[in-house]
Amino acid sequence: MKKLLRTYLPFVANEVKTQLAYRGAFYLWAFISLFSSFISYFLWMAIYGSSESGVIGNLTQNEMVVYIFMVYITSSLVSISVSTWVGYDVVEGRVAMNLIKPIDYRASLIAQAMGDMLYHLVVPSVFIWIGIEIYKVFVLGMPVISLPTLLLYICSVLMSFLLYVLFDFCFGMLAFFTTYIFGLRMAKSALLSFLTGQLIPISLFPEAAQRIFDCLPFSSMIYTPVMIYLGKYTGEELVWAMGRQFIWVILLYWLGSLIWKQVTKRLVVLGG
Amino acid sequence: MIELKNVSKEFVSPKKYPGFKGAIKGLFSNEKVRKVAVDDISFTIEKGEIVGYIGSNGAGKSTTIKMMTGILNPTEGTCLVDGIDPSKNRKENAQNIGVVFGQRTQLWWDLPLSESFTILKEIYDVSDEDYANQMEFLNRVLELDEFFDRPVRTLSLGQRMRADLGAALLHNPKVLYLDEPTIGLDLVVKDNIRHAIKEINEKYQTTVILTTHDIGDIEELCSRIIIIDEGKKIYDGTLEDLKDTYGKRRKVTMEVRKPDLLKELQLFQKIESVNDVQITENDYDSVLDVEGKTYTVSFDKHKMQVPQILSAVMELTEVTDIKLQETELAEIVKEIYNHGGV
Repeated sequence: MKKLLRTYLPFVANEVKTQLAYRGAFYLWAFISLFSSFISYFLWMAIYGSSESGVIGNLTQNEMVVYIFMVYITSSLVSISVSTWVGYDVVEGRVAMNLIKPIDYRASLIAQAMGDMLYHLVVPSVFIWIGIEIYKVFVLGMPVISLPTLLLYICSVLMSFLLYVLFDFCFGMLAFFTTYIFGLRMAKSALLSFLTGQLIPISLFPEAAQRIFDCLPFSSMIYTPVMIYLGKYTGEELVWAMGRQFIWVILLYWLGSLIWKQVTKRLVVLGG
Repeated sequence: MIELKNVSKEFVSPKKYPGFKGAIKGLFSNEKVRKVAVDDISFTIEKGEIVGYIGSNGAGKSTTIKMMTGILNPTEGTCLVDGIDPSKNRKENAQNIGVVFGQRTQLWWDLPLSESFTILKEIYDVSDEDYANQMEFLNRVLELDEFFDRPVRTLSLGQRMRADLGAALLHNPKVLYLDEPTIGLDLVVKDNIRHAIKEINEKYQTTVILTTHDIGDIEELCSRIIIIDEGKKIYDGTLEDLKDTYGKRRKVTMEVRKPDLLKELQLFQKIESVNDVQITENDYDSVLDVEGKTYTVSFDKHKMQVPQILSAVMELTEVTDIKLQETELAEIVKEIYNHGGV
């Protein structure tokens, strides 16, 4: 375990440093995605304004505000696109450079993703989170988040992170077969914004669709931690939600190992 | 140290058809093309040897290297590096080897070079003491300290290559694979890199396998060379042997006053009659350039001597200048590529 940490910690650290080297690009990205959160904020406010009931899909107007911005925070912590890295590595033939080292390719990618997550945690997630809590308490008049809920949220986010990264690793393996996965990645992110509950809370979908979503790993990526944060899951439901996350982590880890084994067997390194 | 037994590698790829129509046809066809990149190669390399692994572009050099490093699995045959099968125990094997692919880098592109070395130190589990010693050595032979704090993307090609070589050697590997380490470098840097390789080999008895198109690399570094062509091994032996077998030809170029007079010359009959030796058509080759007034003979130096040729020519016309050439290794290699075998 100690050896494992020693080997892969530098990957975490190096990724943070790389992010710092390109921080301009990151700020721009953070700003633009926050902007889109505000768009959905105003959209939802208009919808609540014209609605009679005041509760849509189990969420009150105030909860929806928290939902929108917590989705932003959660997805910036969780959705770290390792498939992009895999894609570049394949196109530029860099996979070979990873294979000549006594390291596990996937573990190094996860470590690298963790560096990204840590960086996103500081800029901008923590600040936006503080902003949300202040707004929540002073403007919306809701109680401040309780410590146990916060801890459960953090636990759930960590599992979501693993879940997303492991899934995206499997997805990135497609690059070995198609060589170029930019288009596929676009399709993936469009589909995921639906299935993870990033665009619309999953509780808004019809009952039957929700059942299907329950069987897929995607709702566990963003929807679950945010619902935990909102305190929507209690007791048995909470155990189920987190248990599902855990099971998906195991399943995707196993699937990833299986695919990786097949891929390295038929590996063709591009470019000489 | 390294043992390859009947190793073959076959690539299978979907068949491509030419043109736009072909591209559409390609979408629906399931035909596969097989290409044998490495065909039944066997050799053994001892500890401390520097072996030049040469062949024309696409001969299968890099593929062989990739199988020995564990990046690719052989389709058939076995490969053992220090008793470890790289295709089965890739990570274990990786701990013992250092690799430089001249056209790629294993360094972290966006970070200072020093960061790459710190991370490699952890990956290969190098102790602080070994790290300090090895860095001192690498700084001396490769002069890394000039640019140790600069981001890798700002390094010149020569600096990057030195840095890459340093990175491959940080954990003091038993085997060093160099795939075109001097590609695109100027003479001074080439020389530095060759010196470094030599010194490392002498100091640590590191086994070095080197692929290159640069004949200078081979002449300066390699005691043994293996030549492959179209995936097959066509030569395996010492450099001297190769030069002896193929370098026995010499070339003499004579400037003559009246080239027309040489048209009728039957050189080998002439020499045979004077010197009592058996010469066949294969032993020499002559070209008469009437316009440029030169007469060029390339010949087997064991069968004929320059004075004999000269006197035969001078009987007919006056010779104003002569130039003598030994065959260079580059020509030998070219000849082997062209004839496809020994």
